[in-house]
Amino acid sequence: MTTGATLERLAAGEVGALVVELDIGRAWLVDPASGREGPGEIVVRDGIVEAVTWLEGDEAAGVDPGGVVVAPGFVDLHAHLREPGNEDAETIATGLAAAAHGGFTTVCAMADTTPALDEPSVLARVRAAALASGSPVELLAHGAVTVGRAGEQLAALGELADAGVVGFSDDGAPVGSAAILRNALAYVGTLGLPIVDHAEDPGLTAGAEANDGYVATVLGLRGWPAAAEESVVARDLAVLADVVRDVPGARLHLTHLSTAGALDHVRRAKAAGLPVTCDITPHHLALTDAWLAGARRWAWDAGDDPWTDGAVVAAPYDPGLRVNPPLRSVVEVAACLAALADGTADAVATDHAPHTSVDKDVEFGASAVGIAGIETALGLLLGAVDAGRLTLARAVAALTVGPGIVLGGRSRRRSFGLVEGAPADLVVFDRSDRWTVTPEYLATKGARSPLIGRDLPGRVLLTIADGRLAYEDVSA
Amino acid sequence: MSLAEPIAGTGTPIATGTPEVDAAPETQSVPWPHRHLLDVDGLSADEIDLVMRTTDAMREVLARPIAKVPALRGRNVTILFYEASTRTRVSFEVAAKNLSADVVNIAAATSSVTKGESLVDTVRTIEALGADMLVMRHPASGAPYLAAEIFGGSVLNGGDGWHAHPTQALLDLYTIRERLLPAPGAAPRTATASGQLLAGRKVVILGDLLHSRVARSNIWTLTAAGADLWLCGPSTLLRGFEAWASRGAAGRRFTVTSNIDAALRDADVVMALRIQRERMASGLLPSLREYAARYGLTRARLAAARPDALVMHPGPMNEGVEIAPDVAVGTNSVITEQVTNGVAVRMALLYLLAGVKS
Repeated sequence: MTTGATLERLAAGEVGALVVELDIGRAWLVDPASGREGPGEIVVRDGIVEAVTWLEGDEAAGVDPGGVVVAPGFVDLHAHLREPGNEDAETIATGLAAAAHGGFTTVCAMADTTPALDEPSVLARVRAAALASGSPVELLAHGAVTVGRAGEQLAALGELADAGVVGFSDDGAPVGSAAILRNALAYVGTLGLPIVDHAEDPGLTAGAEANDGYVATVLGLRGWPAAAEESVVARDLAVLADVVRDVPGARLHLTHLSTAGALDHVRRAKAAGLPVTCDITPHHLALTDAWLAGARRWAWDAGDDPWTDGAVVAAPYDPGLRVNPPLRSVVEVAACLAALADGTADAVATDHAPHTSVDKDVEFGASAVGIAGIETALGLLLGAVDAGRLTLARAVAALTVGPGIVLGGRSRRRSFGLVEGAPADLVVFDRSDRWTVTPEYLATKGARSPLIGRDLPGRVLLTIADGRLAYEDVSA
Repeated sequence: MSLAEPIAGTGTPIATGTPEVDAAPETQSVPWPHRHLLDVDGLSADEIDLVMRTTDAMREVLARPIAKVPALRGRNVTILFYEASTRTRVSFEVAAKNLSADVVNIAAATSSVTKGESLVDTVRTIEALGADMLVMRHPASGAPYLAAEIFGGSVLNGGDGWHAHPTQALLDLYTIRERLLPAPGAAPRTATASGQLLAGRKVVILGDLLHSRVARSNIWTLTAAGADLWLCGPSTLLRGFEAWASRGAAGRRFTVTSNIDAALRDADVVMALRIQRERMASGLLPSLREYAARYGLTRARLAAARPDALVMHPGPMNEGVEIAPDVAVGTNSVITEQVTNGVAVRMALLYLLAGVKS
């Protein structure tokens, strides 16, 4: 710890154990709820944040934002935990362990399990697994919009809402038709919940493998056009505008947006007062399609032209990079970073999508789609912060209060800031401590990360959820 | 670039003589630095020139009464094709047998890409069965890179998805070089005023660029040789190539157009690509009849090219669609020479790769 920050606590407890006593001294605190950041100290007693002290003057000397940072525990609006149905890829227990390792203390599971989370008994199963895991990380869930996510008949929306889902999504695919979307928005709008849509026109992406353009053409991969995303975003916003006239409570959240055009649609819709929010994944903020050719440079290091030579660099066609939506061009990624910085994007959501090596380690085009990124999200965002593309405060806000707004009071957490008197939901990480991504270091079962072997800034030292220990780094 | 310059990174000069292909490949005076042949994008001008000169030597072998050398005796060349193919598979097989290799042919079911045994397991099995060199064709772009990661010997890409067909591009280049440039002895084939083989020559690739691995590999070799390269076809089948053309590095430029008259004007080489019937079903073209009328290579259209222009086709042809039957067999056609040269080029590549010290 370079800044003289101190972490004093009782002997390392087990995951789930109440944090009886913890003093975090001389660290950089980031409180997105108040907008304040600076040197400070936090005391936790019996799981409750007893004191948040901001240091001034001489006391603050030597504490800088490049060292140990304390922030509210992160919120992930979008994670695939695979249970029930695909426990070989991930379980609730391994997914929550991975979340805690990534600094997340609230995770929203997606509904594309087998069976789909389209009625309350599946939610009960998910909750039972979370309880059995012993993890203190808060597990929330999105319900399916349609039965079996088939896009035809509305799922048990009201019953699911009563059972406590935080939103509805057929993610993995868009809400099938504009008509179904209109009805779903109206129906759940009266329940105060959002529809979370995955914007993709399947007609434009049939067989698609990589972002349509230069890289896909050179590599001979089937192009995945930006228009496939932008046309569905435009459709969704038009339907939302139609619905809110009758149902003012209707809300739309667009997940994993990845193109400049889609974000422009959202920017204009927000300016027009439509109740829309959106998120971007960490990989769409940090990686470009040039990675598919083996040109693995961070988006912020790539300049305007990351890959002029065109010749394959090293280890191309890494199936770990196959993801929906695809990694985009450096121009689109720059637009994503700008949209996060200017607030057009409310949140960063990981779209954590673990797969088995059987499904992943195959030909690029045959590979299962998704990146298991819940443990690398913070590192990628801090990379953007280090590169000057994002402020630390904005990065933290996009992981806390931003997604917190989308949850609309459905979390057990009363605040997504650093609040005295509340159960502790905290993450402590050291920005000066770089760590190497290795399968052994990751808790997820879907360890086929495209970032294996890369160094990331910001080792997570400690994650506390609901006053209990969720993750503690024991490497130091 | 001087031919005496060393290959970048190897420090070994590439000589200009003809390789002694009767000798064992390990004894090559000119070492080949690449264990695999996955694409042509990473080949230097000197390396391409070495392939051309080794192919000259293999042509000489093919002209012998017994067209066979012992260079690969005792080596196992396994040919693994996940797609239907006649000419490429047979060409590799003949090439390997001419070098006295033991050849194993495996035709994998075309539909088993995502089912049954994985590519990784298949390649491990083939290696355990004794393969030294693996020639593979696969419908997924990039599949040979996956195979090369695990295979202990050399992988030769016989075509992957839409991505690359390196031996086809090299045999095309060889055929163009053979026909357009003076015979050996008359003048060196490797040096022009600009030092590039095809400087000032206009080469047109015509047809379905989008789905063509032949075109993608030819873009690398033809621009590296300095050709004035034009890609022409209906705009639905050119998607993405303008992005490539405008982003390509200096010296890698080419022209993309749907204007066939502009493309063919004064062309030195016209290469027609196969049009597949599925393109109609997927809405890329109205009909084969309309394609033939607007983009088919007919004698009337060919008249706009230079009188001695070469007509090429990687096969198999749809005569009457992308190429008129009389053009396919006309005096300008070098299509059967492409097939013959294909054997010599593949012999050369098997030979060069076999000499790589692991």
